[in-house]
Amino acid sequence: MLDKSLTEFLEQGLAIHIGTRNAALRPNGCRVTAVRVEDQGRHLIAFIPTAASPAVLDDLRTNGQAAISLARPTDDRAVQVKGEFVSVRDADESDGAFALGQWQSLLAELDAIGLAQLTSTSTWLMWPCVAVRIRVTAVFSQTPGPEAGAVLS
Amino acid sequence: MSLGLEQLTSCFQGILPAMFFTCANDGTPNAAFLSHVDYVDATHVALSFQFFNKSRRNITENPYALIRVIDPDNNQGWALRLKFERSETSGPIFDRMFLRIEAIASYAGLKGVFKLKAADIYLVESVEPVPEEPGRQERWSSRSHGQPDPVFTMRALQELSSRMTTATSLEALLESILSGLKEYFGFSHSMILLTGEKPNALVTIATRGYPHGGVGAEVQFGEGIIGVVAEAQHPIRISGLVRGMLYANAARRRALERGWRPQEEVRLPGLENPASQLGVPLVVRGELVGVLCIESETPYRFHEEDKNTIELLGASLAIAVQNMQLKEAGEEPAPAPIRVPAKVAPIAAPTTKRASRQLVYYPSDEVIMLDGDYLIRSLPARILWKLLRVYERDGRAEFTNRELRLDKSLGLPEFKDNLETRLLLLRRRLDEKAENIRLVPKGRGRFALELGCEIELVEK
Repeated sequence: MLDKSLTEFLEQGLAIHIGTRNAALRPNGCRVTAVRVEDQGRHLIAFIPTAASPAVLDDLRTNGQAAISLARPTDDRAVQVKGEFVSVRDADESDGAFALGQWQSLLAELDAIGLAQLTSTSTWLMWPCVAVRIRVTAVFSQTPGPEAGAVLS
Repeated sequence: MSLGLEQLTSCFQGILPAMFFTCANDGTPNAAFLSHVDYVDATHVALSFQFFNKSRRNITENPYALIRVIDPDNNQGWALRLKFERSETSGPIFDRMFLRIEAIASYAGLKGVFKLKAADIYLVESVEPVPEEPGRQERWSSRSHGQPDPVFTMRALQELSSRMTTATSLEALLESILSGLKEYFGFSHSMILLTGEKPNALVTIATRGYPHGGVGAEVQFGEGIIGVVAEAQHPIRISGLVRGMLYANAARRRALERGWRPQEEVRLPGLENPASQLGVPLVVRGELVGVLCIESETPYRFHEEDKNTIELLGASLAIAVQNMQLKEAGEEPAPAPIRVPAKVAPIAAPTTKRASRQLVYYPSDEVIMLDGDYLIRSLPARILWKLLRVYERDGRAEFTNRELRLDKSLGLPEFKDNLETRLLLLRRRLDEKAENIRLVPKGRGRFALELGCEIELVEK
C-alpha cells in the first residue's frame, strides 16, 4: 500500500494526527509524535503520546477504525492513511530515538516557515508514547486544492 | 465547557492550522487539516467550505465533528466538539471569510479557483484543553507593549485626530498619520493608497518603513489585501498570512497539474514576506477615498482591538483626506505665474556628481523613464513632461495648480480631478527616484521645479 516514495515522505517528520470514532459515531482525535512504515508498506506504526486522551485508544480497541493525516508544513503536501487497528504496545527506547528524531525534523520544518517560536514544544508531552500498529487499507491525497481526496493507493 | 470561546479568539487567527475530525455514516473516521476556523460568537464557530471534500461529505451525513486548535499566544491546544447547524452563502460571516480567502487567493494568482462556497456554522458543544499539548504559563508577547490600555488608545487617537485637524497639506496629513502609527502603536510598516486617475485602481501615495519607498505603485481593485479591501470597502485583518500563502500555493500547484492557467502573481507594494496585514478602507459617504494598510513580519501582530482602533482612525482619516483634497483644489493663487529669465541656471546646487540626466517620455504609454529606469506614468507623467518642456523652452520654473488645471492637453477630468493628489504623488516619486529633480511647494496653489543637474529631454 505504501511504496518507497510514500514511505520516505511519511517518515521525514510531518505534522500528524490520528482520527477515530466511538460507538455513537462521534469523532475523536489526537496528535501523533511520529510514524514508521513496516511490512512492505502494509502496516503503519503510529507513536501516540501516552498523555493523549484515552478516548482514541478506547475507540481503536472497540471498533478499530483509524484515519491518520500527515502534512508537511512547508508546502502543505498532505496524505491521509485509512486503516484498521491491529495492536498496541508501550514504545521502547529505540522507538524513542526514531520518533523524537522525526519530531525534531518537524520542528525544523516549522522553523523554516517562521513558526518554531509559536510551536515550541517545551510544554508539549510528545513522549513517552504507545506504538499503535495499523493495517493500511487506503491512502488518499490531502494536499489542498480541487484534487484533495484523490486515491493514492 | 471549561472555557468560553470568547477567551480563545487568539486560536482563530489562522496562524497555526487546526485539525478537523469527522466520521462518515458507515463509521469511517476522517482527519483533515483546516486552514482557518472563524469565531462567530460565544457558542459558534464557522469553517470555510471551499471544496466538496470528504470532511464536508461526512458532515452532511453525520453533523458531529471535533476540531483541535492551538493558542498561538501560549501553545495550549484546545479540543472543540461541534455540531453542524447551517451553511451561509451571504451575510457578514460569509463576507468576512470570503474576503480573507479572496485576498490570499489574489496573492497566489488563484482568484476564481480558490473560492469560498459557504461558511458552515457549527454549535460548539464543549471546549476542553488538549492533554498532550499543555500551554506555557506566560503568554508569548507578540505585541511589544502588552494589551493596550483603553485610555492610552483613546489618547493616541486624540493625538492623531489633532494632527488631522492641524495639517496644512495632504502631504503633511498623510505623513503625520503614518508617523503617528509608528510612534503611538509601534506599527513600523504602513502605507496609504488613494483612488486616482484610473478607475478601479489605487495608487500608493505615502509609505513608511520600506527601504524602497514604493510611492507610485498601483494596485487594482481585487488585488491582494489592499485591492480586496478597496473592492469590498470592508476591513480585512490577516494574522497568519504565511500559513495562508502556503495553503494557497499548495492549491495552486495542484491546479497547475490539472492544466489550469494561472493569472499573474500579483506584485504589490509592501514587505517582501508579511506575516500579518491589516487593511481598512477610507470611505466617505459610501465613496472610496483610499486604503490604509499596515503590515508586519510578525505573525498575529494585529489583534482585534488593533483592528477596531485602526478602523476608527480610518473613518476620520477618510474625511480628513477628502477635505484636504477639496481644500487644496480650491486654493488658487490670484497673481499670474511669475516669469523668470529664460534659461536660468539650475535653482538648486547639484546634490550628486551626476552632471546630466536623460528623461525619455513615451506618449503612447504615458511613461517617463529616467536614465533608463521607470520613473512615473499616467497623469503625473504628463504633468512632469509639461513642466520640463516649459522649463526647457522658456526657462520658467514656477507654476500654479490653476494653469495645470486649465491646460486641456493634460486631459484632467472636469469633475474631481484630484490634481493636488497627483502633484503630491509626483513630488514623492521624484524625491524617491530623482533627488536632483524636485517639485517644491511655494505657497498656496504654487510650486517650483528645481533642478540640480542638466537635463536632456527625449520624446519617443
